Amino acid sequence: MIEVRGLAKSFGDVQALSGVDFAVGEGEIFGFLGPNGAGKTTTISIIAGLLGADSGTVRVNGMDIAKDGTRVRQILGVVPQDIALYEELTARENLHFWGGLYGLAGKKLRGETDRVLEIVGLSDRADDPVREYSGGMKRRLNLSAGLIHGPKVILLDEPTLGIDPQARLNILDIIRNGVSGGMTAVYTTHYLEEAEKLCSRIAIIDHGKILAQGTLAELVMLAGEGSVVTVTGAFSSAQVSPLLKGITVEHFGDGSLRMMIPGRSELSGALGRLFSAGIPIEDVSIREPSLEGVFMKLTGRELRD
Amino acid sequence: MRKIFLIVRKDMKRRLRSPVSVICMLLIPLGLTLIVGLVFGRHGEVELSHIKVLLADNDGGMAANFFKQGMKQGKLAELIDVVEVDSAEGLSLMNRGKASALIEIPKGFTSSVLDGKSTQIDLVKNPRESFLPMIVEEITGTMTVMIGGAVRVFHEPIQETRSMLAADRWPTPDELAGLLASAGPRIALVKDYVADTLITLTSRTDEAPAEKPAGTFNFFAYIMPGSILIGLLFISEITMRDILREREAGTLDRIFAGPVRSAHVIAGKVLSAFAITLASCLLLILIGRIAFSIEWGPPLELFALVVGSILMCVGIMAFLFGFIKSERGADAMLPVVIIVICIFGGAMFPYEVMGPAMQKAARFSPAFWVIDGLKLVSIEKAGWGGIWRHLAIVYGIGAITCAAGAARLRVRLTGQK
Repeated sequence: MIEVRGLAKSFGDVQALSGVDFAVGEGEIFGFLGPNGAGKTTTISIIAGLLGADSGTVRVNGMDIAKDGTRVRQILGVVPQDIALYEELTARENLHFWGGLYGLAGKKLRGETDRVLEIVGLSDRADDPVREYSGGMKRRLNLSAGLIHGPKVILLDEPTLGIDPQARLNILDIIRNGVSGGMTAVYTTHYLEEAEKLCSRIAIIDHGKILAQGTLAELVMLAGEGSVVTVTGAFSSAQVSPLLKGITVEHFGDGSLRMMIPGRSELSGALGRLFSAGIPIEDVSIREPSLEGVFMKLTGRELRD
Repeated sequence: MRKIFLIVRKDMKRRLRSPVSVICMLLIPLGLTLIVGLVFGRHGEVELSHIKVLLADNDGGMAANFFKQGMKQGKLAELIDVVEVDSAEGLSLMNRGKASALIEIPKGFTSSVLDGKSTQIDLVKNPRESFLPMIVEEITGTMTVMIGGAVRVFHEPIQETRSMLAADRWPTPDELAGLLASAGPRIALVKDYVADTLITLTSRTDEAPAEKPAGTFNFFAYIMPGSILIGLLFISEITMRDILREREAGTLDRIFAGPVRSAHVIAGKVLSAFAITLASCLLLILIGRIAFSIEWGPPLELFALVVGSILMCVGIMAFLFGFIKSERGADAMLPVVIIVICIFGGAMFPYEVMGPAMQKAARFSPAFWVIDGLKLVSIEKAGWGGIWRHLAIVYGIGAITCAAGAARLRVRLTGQK
């Protein structure tokens, strides 16, 4: 549905994007994960036709955005990072305006407005001015304005920024339900757990370059991530070290041990050897491989840096 | 077209829901009109610039002298500069626009007055000035009524005094007491004579307007056109400023993310600014009619001038916003631009009280053509013939600035694509 090849964009001396390639299939939620300034919004803006690329191509549903911009934009829905709504107008008036721009009118426009208001749970506040809404309600309305015309592809640029966890879950549910109806989504975020929960495939972007992309399992494998096991007890390093040959030990001290174990079988083998040797173990904690670990491995820093 | 309509409707609704800024801008011209009108129009405590009046005395007699001295006395001296000239010089100066009016006292004026015969004073008004010659006309008319009335009432005492003066002696105290005693009852008759004037004032304007102003002069009508222009410029500024606000709020980008051309957005924005400014202007005119009793003159001509003026104001703002990148920039630049346009055009200081150099400069300000046109329509009741040049200039500037503004905005709004 979306095919991006060799995308590059610079702002003066700053290279915002450099050779970005990815493809998104129909009905897929494709996550774009990266810290602020990584190039997520620039990529979304180019796909939406708001920015021109210095080089590279973007095709949506087989159409080149540079040549068929108006036709491409007709099937795109955009949910910007900032809440782009008219605060003086009611939710219904906002949706009538945005829907009208996409050619909806009359009964169809009114019907679609009611439908999306229902989806985002704002039907009972539809005729209140947006300025009276809470942050979460505005975020939901912001999302619904991108859905009003029933787009084939929706570009979501950090749609949960700055809202409480409950409202965030609500928005993720709406997106998940929308995609189950056949829509394709590109979702940018810097919340790891959102990307893990929502996206079927994820691209990790930093400094304008895609460092890795694939499913979560593929990324974990690609980064060589494994489970992190922390063992505490009344033992010394001299007692334990002969039992851990072939295991990557990240931290070793008297009474504390942290090791990286690539798979389940290696994990049970290592712990079995420790227990068999009568090592006095008080606690064992296991942290499963995560996107955070993958991100750290690939970029050398935490996402919030 | 539908998309343009949607943008206009949306902006109108937003402005109606949040009208404070427009109301504040409406209060500026109303406040200015009220304050300036009250200060200059009623109390006169603030000194007006002198009106230059040429006076050609072809008579040289006592009555002519009485007239001249009357024009130079008391409060009139604060308002009028009387310059004595001969007729030829006076007409020459008038042809060059060097004075507001020329008063010609004919030869034999005094003897006609003293003999109780009808006579006349000629007044030539400067056609390039709309207001000051009318003041001179009013004053001269009042003077002729006063002199004519006085001569009729005091005819006999004057004749007695005339014979005494002719005999080259001053009246004795007894004769003077007699004269005063006989004059007393006649004073009561003044009101019976003022309607039937002895001296007639005839006035003309070299290039007389098609229609003469009717009714009494309303000073607010003189002030309000300039105030309206200030309001129009500020209202069109805040409505066109919405482009910056929408851009900063992200709604403009969201519009551009849809199947909308930049021409739709620019046309929508210009039209909504036009509609809001037009509605505000009509409201100002209505308030002017109700609160300040301004007779606005021929409605079609007025409407044509108003539409052209708003087109011009919105065009100027569209052009300027094509260069301004942020609200801070707009805050710093636009009030200065508006004030300069208004000052040069005579919106803050009437054109007639400006110095000659400023009067020449005023004609290069677009504001002058709006203000002068509105004054011509409302004060002089000028028709199409009187304001065609104003309309041509205002619509011309409007068309040019709108086209240039739209082109510049297109570059600004879509240049990043």
